[in-house]
Amino acid sequence: MTADQNPSSSTAPEQASKPPPKDLKKKKEDKKDEDLSDEDLALKQQLELYVERVQDDNPGVQRLALESMRQEIRSATSSMTSVPKPLKFLRPHYGKLKAYFETMIDSDLKKYLADILSVLALTMAAEGERESLKYRLLGSEGDIGSWGHEYVRNLAGEISQEFAKRQYDDLPIDALMELVQQIVAFHMKHNAEPEAVDLLMEVEDLDLLVEHVDSTNYKRTCLYLTSSSSYLPSPDDILALDIAYTIYMKFEDLASSLRIALLLDNIQYVKQIFTSTNDPLLKKQFSYICAHHGIALELDEEWVPDEEEREVLQDIANNAKLSEGYLTLARDIEVMEPKSPEDIYKAHLIDGRASASSSLDSARQNLAATFVNAFVNAGFGQDKLMTVPSEPTSSGTSSPSWLFKNKDHGKASAAASLGMILLWDVDSGLAQIDKFLHSNDNHVVAGALLGVGIVNCGIRNDCDPALALLGDFIEKDDTIIRIGAILGLGIAYAGTNKDELRVRLTTILGDSKSPLEVLVFSAITLGLVHVGSCNEYIAQTIILAIMERSESELSEPLTRLLPVALGLLYLGKQDSVEATAEVSKTFNEKIRKYCDVILLSLAYAGTGNVLKVQKLLGYCAQHLDKGEVHQGPAVLGIALVAMAEELGLEMSIRSLEHLLQYGEQNIRRAVPLALGILCISNPKVNVMDTLSRLSHDADTDVSMAAIISLGLIGAGTNNARIASMLRNLSSYYYKEAGHLFCVRIAQGLVHLGKGLLTLSPYHSDRFLLSPTALAGIVTVLHACLDMKSIILGKYHYMFYILALAMHPRMLMTVDENLKPLSVTVRVGQAVDVVGQAGRPKTITGFQTHSTPVLLAAGERAELATEKYIPLTPVLEGFVILKENPEYQDDH
Amino acid sequence: MGQGTPGGLSRQGLPGDRKHDGDKKDKKFEPAAPPSRVGRKQRKQKGPEAAARLPTVAPLTKCKLRLLKLERIKDYLLMEEEFVANQERLKPHEDKNEEDRSKVDDLRGSPMSVGNLEELIDENHAIVSSSVGPEYYVSILSFVDKDQLEPGCAILMHNKVLSVVGLLQDEVDPMVSVMKVEKAPLESYADIGGLDAQIQEIKEAVELPLTHPELYEDIGIKPPKGVILYGEPGTGKTLLAKAVANSTSATFLRVVGSELIQKYLGDGPKLVRELFRVADDLSPSIVFIDEIDAVGTKRYDAHSGGEREIQRTMLELLNQLDGFDSRGDVKVILATNRIESLDPALLRPGRIDRKIEFPLPDIKTRRRIFQIHTSRMTLADDVNLEEFVMTKDEFSGADIKAICTEAGLLALRERRMKVTQVDFKKAKEKVMFKKKEGIPEGLYM
Repeated sequence: MTADQNPSSSTAPEQASKPPPKDLKKKKEDKKDEDLSDEDLALKQQLELYVERVQDDNPGVQRLALESMRQEIRSATSSMTSVPKPLKFLRPHYGKLKAYFETMIDSDLKKYLADILSVLALTMAAEGERESLKYRLLGSEGDIGSWGHEYVRNLAGEISQEFAKRQYDDLPIDALMELVQQIVAFHMKHNAEPEAVDLLMEVEDLDLLVEHVDSTNYKRTCLYLTSSSSYLPSPDDILALDIAYTIYMKFEDLASSLRIALLLDNIQYVKQIFTSTNDPLLKKQFSYICAHHGIALELDEEWVPDEEEREVLQDIANNAKLSEGYLTLARDIEVMEPKSPEDIYKAHLIDGRASASSSLDSARQNLAATFVNAFVNAGFGQDKLMTVPSEPTSSGTSSPSWLFKNKDHGKASAAASLGMILLWDVDSGLAQIDKFLHSNDNHVVAGALLGVGIVNCGIRNDCDPALALLGDFIEKDDTIIRIGAILGLGIAYAGTNKDELRVRLTTILGDSKSPLEVLVFSAITLGLVHVGSCNEYIAQTIILAIMERSESELSEPLTRLLPVALGLLYLGKQDSVEATAEVSKTFNEKIRKYCDVILLSLAYAGTGNVLKVQKLLGYCAQHLDKGEVHQGPAVLGIALVAMAEELGLEMSIRSLEHLLQYGEQNIRRAVPLALGILCISNPKVNVMDTLSRLSHDADTDVSMAAIISLGLIGAGTNNARIASMLRNLSSYYYKEAGHLFCVRIAQGLVHLGKGLLTLSPYHSDRFLLSPTALAGIVTVLHACLDMKSIILGKYHYMFYILALAMHPRMLMTVDENLKPLSVTVRVGQAVDVVGQAGRPKTITGFQTHSTPVLLAAGERAELATEKYIPLTPVLEGFVILKENPEYQDDH
Repeated sequence: MGQGTPGGLSRQGLPGDRKHDGDKKDKKFEPAAPPSRVGRKQRKQKGPEAAARLPTVAPLTKCKLRLLKLERIKDYLLMEEEFVANQERLKPHEDKNEEDRSKVDDLRGSPMSVGNLEELIDENHAIVSSSVGPEYYVSILSFVDKDQLEPGCAILMHNKVLSVVGLLQDEVDPMVSVMKVEKAPLESYADIGGLDAQIQEIKEAVELPLTHPELYEDIGIKPPKGVILYGEPGTGKTLLAKAVANSTSATFLRVVGSELIQKYLGDGPKLVRELFRVADDLSPSIVFIDEIDAVGTKRYDAHSGGEREIQRTMLELLNQLDGFDSRGDVKVILATNRIESLDPALLRPGRIDRKIEFPLPDIKTRRRIFQIHTSRMTLADDVNLEEFVMTKDEFSGADIKAICTEAGLLALRERRMKVTQVDFKKAKEKVMFKKKEGIPEGLYM
């Protein structure tokens, strides 16, 4: 933009040339007089007279003069482009008045004069002298707003400078604070909340805000506070959120305060919110929000005294209704019809070649089809491969079950896919999986165990069916069965901090005889279950397990997941990781740096901390000797840290471009995955283009990662462009089994839940970050860092960990009895309305639908009818609607 | 302007990208992924600049949140800088790039002929034409960025086999680049006598939206898009525009209405399009179209092709002013002395929101203008300008200037070093005489 030009001191023609020498000035002034209009001239002379009179001895005359001068200044209509005339004419007398002021004895008059000087200083005082403030403090402390906005604004600026200085010099600030009070009150009254908040942030006293907000402006104030918080340095952001919480509580906007309590991860606050209302509906809404966020809520008498009510609330918080709601959504938009993998591949759209040679590696292909089938039909409870009745009615040639078209560990994934299809539907899920549990084939049993875990993903139940079923299998002899059971538990109980699991799994970790694979998956399960708990005991156990590994074991690709498990314990917990990070420095040097990077990146995931991004970029800038592997996780770490807010997200996409350009292979391999996590379930066109380019890369790892990432960014969107890209890729790579497998998985992800699900860990207007969802994604991505040995090897079932991040991207409105209620809503692109004047639209380009509806990334919904009032400001997931008592039907 | 880098090489100079066709030996040739898009390219996303564009920062109001957001962007840019600097230090890319470049240059051959891309046949073939002769079916070399090729763009061709070896990216019409005011005019606001209200209006409508968009955001209104300056000849319309150009640091493009009338059909509208495109690229910018009546007259049933073409030019102008594509930070100033003859569509709010009238100067203004013009003249003591200031004759600013100049010339004729009152009187009579005699206005000496 152009030169910074203060509107108040703009270059009016007369002012354009300012001659400093006195005699010249005199001359100029004479000249100026000539072209003033008559009234201006009169005004000028009048003011000159006042100035003379102010210096009179007679206090009466003085008072009169001051009064009239004050009148003149106040009544002057200022314009945006020029200085108000009285101020302009008084400019030459500023020095004179100042000098006279010093000689005056203390009196009311002196204060009056101070007021006027303070206003004059607005245009006169040199930069940094803060004279306006100085005279204000000496002045009569009258109504601050009477001098106009510009004056107040200027004062606020000077106060913040003065405050910094006084604090540095340890001077008292009481007088300043009094002024601050006045200014804040003024700003709040005049729709200038951002300015009030800014001033209070400068003087480090946000608490003052609470008393000044009122019911008309608290929403805007809090919105400003919360959006500032993601950019403020560390202690300030918590403070800002705390204040926002207090303000919301003050105005009893409990749903909004709950969002902040969840962001702060403060269970005390959540409890406070629960106990501060008696409205059972509101509490139900809170339970829905908590359930979506994925925190395990244990309601007891203190929270909810009434037992019956408590049961209902606990049910909601346990996500027990999720499956039901999801199926209602599916029925409403008529996608219940199961889809087969072929429906997704749409091979007929590709010309010739590819479809002909699909029998290249049938086992791999069948495995891919298993995953596609699982992802596409996730949660629907029916599909065309696994749940079709296997009675041999059609003909003898068709094999009895899809399960046995897979080999060995493929069978495990196939069996587990049933769990994915029956996701969230605990009762019928367990019944259907049960038959596999009694199979003779260890792989099938393992898969079934994993499936049980997946079915229970995110659903909590008092009877703990998953633990009851899986618990016995943890200590079986067969490795694969143990893995299945352990991972199943991890998925089922992610984020619950279940103590029982901690005891049982740490014993496995501590047992030097357990096979490496079991060890690793136990660690991951512990990480998932105790995600973000900073549990010292588990950390110690995992650390010990890492230390005990021999050199050769450490170079196993699977071992790399051990530090990830350790990191999950500290997911998003920032500083708390430091003690563990210290310990990790004693590790074998092979894994030391790797561990360090992982702990750093996971601990600061979703914080947007720029310093950590810098540190991680620093790791990527080094050039490595052979054998070090920490750069890949560092790249992922950049994405994890920066994904917190939009700006960081876009800027880190830029940074990743540079990494692609300069980085060596191990960095380039991680870049697509990092892009995948940055834009998960949010297909941005530029990222799509970059990934499409990388999917043709010469390096197989880069291209495979890019393909998987294409799936991730399009996850659950049914995005036609990505779908056609993937179809083209499937014909391009028709001969390469590994690539083709990735393409299929990506295709499955794009059509995840037939487009009803999302993998994004962010929810509630991209405000809250669900830790379990993030943990799931992070684990899978780290597994993808070594695609060949983990995903394409035996451990493909790790993809099922993505179930943790799956959420229906729906808006489901329910009535007071929690029955689905169809109302019209407007769905459109969300607009950032922070700090905007008036009541701006929060969505743009909207369409009107009737609920339940799907919400894509970056979309927001609002009710199109006045008939109901939503109980939460953010319409996402389950929203309870209350009838509007003031609503009147027009007809 | 006008040349740019002849290139359009694939964006990433990475070895990996180029290898990928070669290293799959066991396969028969695989075509590269088809370009994501064929045909007209989107406006904004061009080459690496699109990627380099920074995210927009949401509240336009000056507040801490905005500061914090901008600082966040700065932090990231600093990190990028640090990273890139580090990489360059550790692993100089120059040599390798140099080598690649020279290889590409060998392939391209020299000299290259400039042609026009007529049609894209498939990923690797196109029909091209050179300025002289027939059209050819040629291949496109692999290092040309196909995403940037579009029918109608200027390309570089190999001198013998005529295959496409590059494209000329910067297709700014040289006609437009001339319009850009590189050197600010000397006239500033201080050189304008009077016109206070007009200055304030134009500042509010043109300068403030570019320098302080937040003020408008605060109030919740869209700033005006453009203004039209109208009034008697010689009342300072162009002068004010010059002053705006002098004081702003936005790009200032100036055109005279008659420049938009071109010899060939379609050239005029094209020029208008080009003009606004450049203005958009260089935004924030101000477009000043002087003597708009040359193209902006009311539409009527025209019989000659030329008239119709002029009308079409105006239609394009209408579209650019408030058409389908929104122009961001482009402000338009029009100037004319015959506002009544302009097409009403041109003046409707939304296109031109403010009409600023320039009246003949009143006494005060006249005095000021006399002062400005006589400030550098040596006047005899007997000169009494008040006499001319207070006269009843109608003077425009330009008349006053003419009187002063004429008086100076009269003094010169008599080899005097000072201009006397008599000179002024004679000069005034001369100027007024000419004016009354009906000699077309504007032909002052």
